[in-house]
Amino acid sequence: MIELFGVTKRFGGETAVDALSLRVEKGEVCVLVGTSGCGKSTTLRMINRLIEHDGGEIHLEGAPVRSFDEVTLRRRIGYVIQSTGLFPHWTVARNIGLVPRLLKWPRARIQERVEELMQLLGLPVREFAGKYPRQLSGGQAQRVGVARALAADPEILLMDEPFGALDPLTRQSLQKELQELQARLHKTVVFVTHDMDEALALADRLVVMRKGRIVQQGRPIDLLHDPADEFVESLLGGMDRGLKEAALTRVSERMLPLGPRLLASERIPYAAPLSQALSLMLWHRVERLTVVDDEDIPVGELSLRRLLGGKTS
Amino acid sequence: MSRQELTIGAAGLQTQMRSWLAPLAWLFLLVLFASGMPHLEGAFRWIEPDSREVIYRRAGFFVLLGQHVLVVGVASLLAVALGIGSAIAVTRPAGRDFLPLVSQLASIGQTFPPVAVLALAVPALGFGTLPIIVALLLYGLLPIVRNTLTGLDGIDADVREAARGMGMTGGQLLRQVELPLAAPVILAGIRTSVTVNIATAALGATVGASNLGDPIIAGIINGNTAYIVQGALLIGLLALAVDSVFERLLRRG
Repeated sequence: MIELFGVTKRFGGETAVDALSLRVEKGEVCVLVGTSGCGKSTTLRMINRLIEHDGGEIHLEGAPVRSFDEVTLRRRIGYVIQSTGLFPHWTVARNIGLVPRLLKWPRARIQERVEELMQLLGLPVREFAGKYPRQLSGGQAQRVGVARALAADPEILLMDEPFGALDPLTRQSLQKELQELQARLHKTVVFVTHDMDEALALADRLVVMRKGRIVQQGRPIDLLHDPADEFVESLLGGMDRGLKEAALTRVSERMLPLGPRLLASERIPYAAPLSQALSLMLWHRVERLTVVDDEDIPVGELSLRRLLGGKTS
Repeated sequence: MSRQELTIGAAGLQTQMRSWLAPLAWLFLLVLFASGMPHLEGAFRWIEPDSREVIYRRAGFFVLLGQHVLVVGVASLLAVALGIGSAIAVTRPAGRDFLPLVSQLASIGQTFPPVAVLALAVPALGFGTLPIIVALLLYGLLPIVRNTLTGLDGIDADVREAARGMGMTGGQLLRQVELPLAAPVILAGIRTSVTVNIATAALGATVGASNLGDPIIAGIINGNTAYIVQGALLIGLLALAVDSVFERLLRRG
């Protein structure tokens, strides 16, 4: 659990973070969004004391971060940055094993842990362990960056625009992998991004920041339905909010059991978002889709009216 | 599989050995000329037909070579220690205020002609080996300081950020990240410093430090070109041998 109480940071005369209070529960993904210069990165970096806060208090598990030695503190917190910051003169395996080595784990345990993480992040050990960062693609390098952050199994993970430099396809697949990882690992994650789709997709708690203050926070769906002001509304996509909401809702939440009618010809997986169902309907000019499970077996159907939130089929 | 690895290993070893060929060849030539100089009397007689003596005999060439290497070695070791040390010190948070001062001092060391350093050092330190070591030390500092500063400065800020964020201490950051990454640039600075100093050390002969400069100075004073060629030849070969060793080290790094 991370708590910020009235945290303030000034750079010269400028106030970057202004009396900010925030509580991130254990196992929660908290995403900080906002335009550049809103203080979201500064907030993140104050948590592992790469930047020292000027006022207020930051607590980890109830203890102020200042009560820890900063080096010890950082070894307990996973940290991922946009440019990966991998050490160019170290192999992938050595980069991943950095924190365990700093913590003086026995060599065999480090190697075991490195191989476990490489597997977890889809980096075949035989192929990648001996490679150098310059031999990796952007997506692979960031996988190594995430593996390095997870190496010593930290409770807390700080991610500063980790996927910001990747192409959209790689970004989406890494977002999905991060979601799957999080479903298994239940880390407390603070994630900074300016990509609203990324924020909506990953956040348990969405925190919108502006000029060093929190404008609004809550579940993504609640912010979409009830934005506090025009700034939040426009940040959340303005007129596109409907589609963004549909992207957060799964087909399985709206589908009806199979009826007596013939199966619709177009199929959609039950775990797909409503936005995808709508897109399929638009594309094929149909009003009804067959919902299938993972094995492509029909389990229900979805009509345009149900998709729009109507009560009857 | 093992057989293939063996072949690759053998081939790797061969390229390794081949890459040391140039330094070894220069070293061999150096030893050959240092020991066989008297046998070349005919050739030197042709260069200098008028002098009675055409081979420098006041001291053995090996003795002169050894003293030359010793002077350059001591001065370079001191310059490396002092140069890298001060460059590291002024790039740490605590010493950053001194960064402009140190880079300025190092530049002044370079603009100061070594002869002038010798002229100033002799009254203070007397004749002999000490003034030339001081002069070479001052003269050799700049390339090392400048390259160490450049090398440390060239490291990606994100790599430093990540290293700190992962919980590396300042010392770990320096030893495990900054120095290894800056090593090629630092080594290039040491290479410049050492090779320049091998040539400059010959000036030591003017203040009574006996080394390979002796035959050159004696040759100038007595109008004996053969002496000058003998000293210059050995200094040149020494510089080439040392330079090719550095070249070899840099190529791997």
